[in-house]
Amino acid sequence: MYGFLRFVTFSVTRGLQGLRRNSLMTLAATSTMVLMLLLLAGFWLVQAGLAAGISYVEQKVEIVADLHDVPGAEGSLTVQAVALAADVAALPSVQSVSFVSKDEALAQFRDRLRQRGQVDLTGFLDRNPLPASLEVKLVDPRQYEPIVALLSNQSRVVDDVVQVQQLVAQLTTVTGVLRTGGIVLLVLVGFVVLFIIVNTIRLAVVARREEIEIMRLVGASDAFIRWPFIFEGAFVGLLGAAITLGLLSVASGAVTDFMYGFFRVLPLELGSLQRDVILLVVGTGFGVGVLGSWLSVRNYLTR
Amino acid sequence: MSGSRFDRVRRLLGPAAAPDRAPDDAAVDASAPARPVLALRGVGKVYPNGKAALHDVDLVLGEGEFVFLVGPTGAGKTTLLKLLIRDELPTSGEVILDGRDLARVPRRKVPELRRKIGIVFQDYKLLPTRSVRENVSFALEVTGTPRGRIRPAVDQALAVVGLGPQGDQLPTTLSGGEQQRTAIARALVHEPRLIIADEPTGNLDPLISWEIIQLLLRINELGVTVLMATHNAGVVTALRRRVVALEEGRVVRDEVGGYHRDD
Repeated sequence: MYGFLRFVTFSVTRGLQGLRRNSLMTLAATSTMVLMLLLLAGFWLVQAGLAAGISYVEQKVEIVADLHDVPGAEGSLTVQAVALAADVAALPSVQSVSFVSKDEALAQFRDRLRQRGQVDLTGFLDRNPLPASLEVKLVDPRQYEPIVALLSNQSRVVDDVVQVQQLVAQLTTVTGVLRTGGIVLLVLVGFVVLFIIVNTIRLAVVARREEIEIMRLVGASDAFIRWPFIFEGAFVGLLGAAITLGLLSVASGAVTDFMYGFFRVLPLELGSLQRDVILLVVGTGFGVGVLGSWLSVRNYLTR
Repeated sequence: MSGSRFDRVRRLLGPAAAPDRAPDDAAVDASAPARPVLALRGVGKVYPNGKAALHDVDLVLGEGEFVFLVGPTGAGKTTLLKLLIRDELPTSGEVILDGRDLARVPRRKVPELRRKIGIVFQDYKLLPTRSVRENVSFALEVTGTPRGRIRPAVDQALAVVGLGPQGDQLPTTLSGGEQQRTAIARALVHEPRLIIADEPTGNLDPLISWEIIQLLLRINELGVTVLMATHNAGVVTALRRRVVALEEGRVVRDEVGGYHRDD
């Protein structure tokens, strides 16, 4: 136990000394780390924005079922329509069901006309020609079939189901490509970041092969050689992560308005994004620092 | 217990000591070493690139011997030394250090084994950014020696090589001889049974070379076995110690005498 504590103290102390005594290499490794983490965080943000945008667009997909007119029930739902809405809402792929009455439909139509600057002639109509409808929002837009089937079967209540197949097929193709492309790009950038950081740390270790050589010759065990470098790598990683987060928080002042405006319209929580970026930067910095040191020192031990 | 050898060194170094007494020829008789520290039997080494460095080398070093290893560049001296510290493994034959076949020592036990051997190089291999004292204590720190035992051991090792006052200087401010003495102190600090010196005087002028040789002789008188690879014909010839000559990877001569057969 005492020996272990001494070993940890030795490794941490030696790791910190390594940072100080090889300040040039520390500077090189840390600045590489910062640049790479900024790149990674940037791509992460872009990817998160892209994903949020895609989800937002996909949520716009809805199935609209026009209902038969029921004389005397213009403003409300019939019993059958309520039952149908409940049935539809119970389906797992349904996010929400809302009822648009004939009056609301007319009001929305008038709004749209006004927005486009067109003349509103609906006042000349003797009755409201627009049907009441159920608007079904989907969790996954590709799962529209069972809902369409269910609605179409209720021909006593439902007049017509507005067909969405074509639209959904096109939209999900585009969003699927974008989503996959974003993830592939992020993974590629991740690999580049990993590769560059590991190589920079490798250079820093190579610069000290004499020291490792001497340690081996005087009979230092592998653990005593390896762990100071691993701690050093971890320190470089955490230092790089701290600087990166500092830069990001400074920069966020400038982009906050844009980001806020961007994310406000999207169903994405800024809080969780911030937490994700912090976890990503700190985790990557620490992990890659440790991994890089471990891989680099290993070359000198396996003999 | 750990100070006993150094206490003897102190006595030897003290004014009353007679460090330059003539070597006792009977004690270095190669034919019957009392107890081998090191034994090579039929050792051959072929590197992965196909270059054969050693052929069928037999060599036994007894406890307390002082042996010169001579031979032209490329004769296999460095390969031989690498085998002794298990930096390389022999292709054939066996290397036995302190009764253990090095090829059978598991990798994780190698560091312990190396602590029984002190190594000195031509280029000193000191850490330029650390003081003399730190260079010596480095060998103890990286092997997990408790802090309380490091300081006295370093003091003693520096006293043996006569570098106490220079302890806080950086190696770059020292002369070549002082740098090599620092390296010897570092080799001594684990109290090894065997010191391997690879051309320790290769970078030094004749006078300083003699100082280093004298120091190694004194350390040898503590009972530490010394194997010194060298090109320094003058030193080898003058000392009349056991000389092992390598040529093209073979031992061509093993006898008490000079650098050349006809000396």
